[in-house]
Amino acid sequence: MTKPESPFLKQDGTKCSCMDMLQQMLDSEVTDEQREYFKQHLDHCMPCYKNYDLEMTIKELLKSKCCGSDVPSDLLQEIQMQITQKISS
Amino acid sequence: MEEVQRQHYTDKERQEIFNGEFMPHIRSMYNFGFRLTLDRDDAKDLVQDTYLKAYRFIESFQRGTNAKAWLFRILKNSFINDYRKKSKEPSKVDYQEVEAYYNSEEVDRQITPDLRVESLKDMIGDEISNALNALDVDFRTVIILSDLEEFKYEEMAKILDIPIGTVRSRLHRARNLLKEKLSEYAKSMGYNKSNL
Repeated sequence: MTKPESPFLKQDGTKCSCMDMLQQMLDSEVTDEQREYFKQHLDHCMPCYKNYDLEMTIKELLKSKCCGSDVPSDLLQEIQMQITQKISS
Repeated sequence: MEEVQRQHYTDKERQEIFNGEFMPHIRSMYNFGFRLTLDRDDAKDLVQDTYLKAYRFIESFQRGTNAKAWLFRILKNSFINDYRKKSKEPSKVDYQEVEAYYNSEEVDRQITPDLRVESLKDMIGDEISNALNALDVDFRTVIILSDLEEFKYEEMAKILDIPIGTVRSRLHRARNLLKEKLSEYAKSMGYNKSNL
């Protein structure tokens, strides 16, 4: 079976490296076709498979551990108060 | 950023935009403010200041466009222009040093040898947050915008006033630096290849 043509191309028309593909995947800057190609690529490229797994784990950790700070309630009140003052003035 | 025609809004419309399009992003805005300043009180001031500016300049905002990106841009500019200037401490980032680092070969290598998924999964405390906070602010910012807030390259380029190519390379380098920090934590926790 012949390998499908890579839909990951640089501006000069040459194929992107594994690292370039990986980065575009991580940054969610891919088309459906590129995503599908990359998934198939992972089946036969162990370095990509391992790196992707690692990077996605970091991404998930970031989302679960670094987004959680609750907004102080007095901040909301102060903003609302100042805006109300501006409107009434 | 492209020129946007000034809009004319009634008081009622202003309130609708402010409450309906700006306020829903306060949680992300506060988190961004906190991750930039690393101080809860400073983050509060920065966010409050940003919202007041957003209200003052509301006629530059076009309804239905990306309010979150617009607000993030104002917050980022306020941080650079006001907060960093007010702060007595000199900026921790030496711009030339950072650029030199961007251009060095060193940051382009793939850093993975001593960082493994298994050790990451054992990081249940503040390690990841500390690793993120330990990055220089320019690198920290791109990680926040991309991984926490899921902005696209084009939106990030507008928020940060830098070309898309720079967004990409900065993100790539930021990810490598973050992995470096995480592998330091992993090492200090006693993880290495031999015991996994």
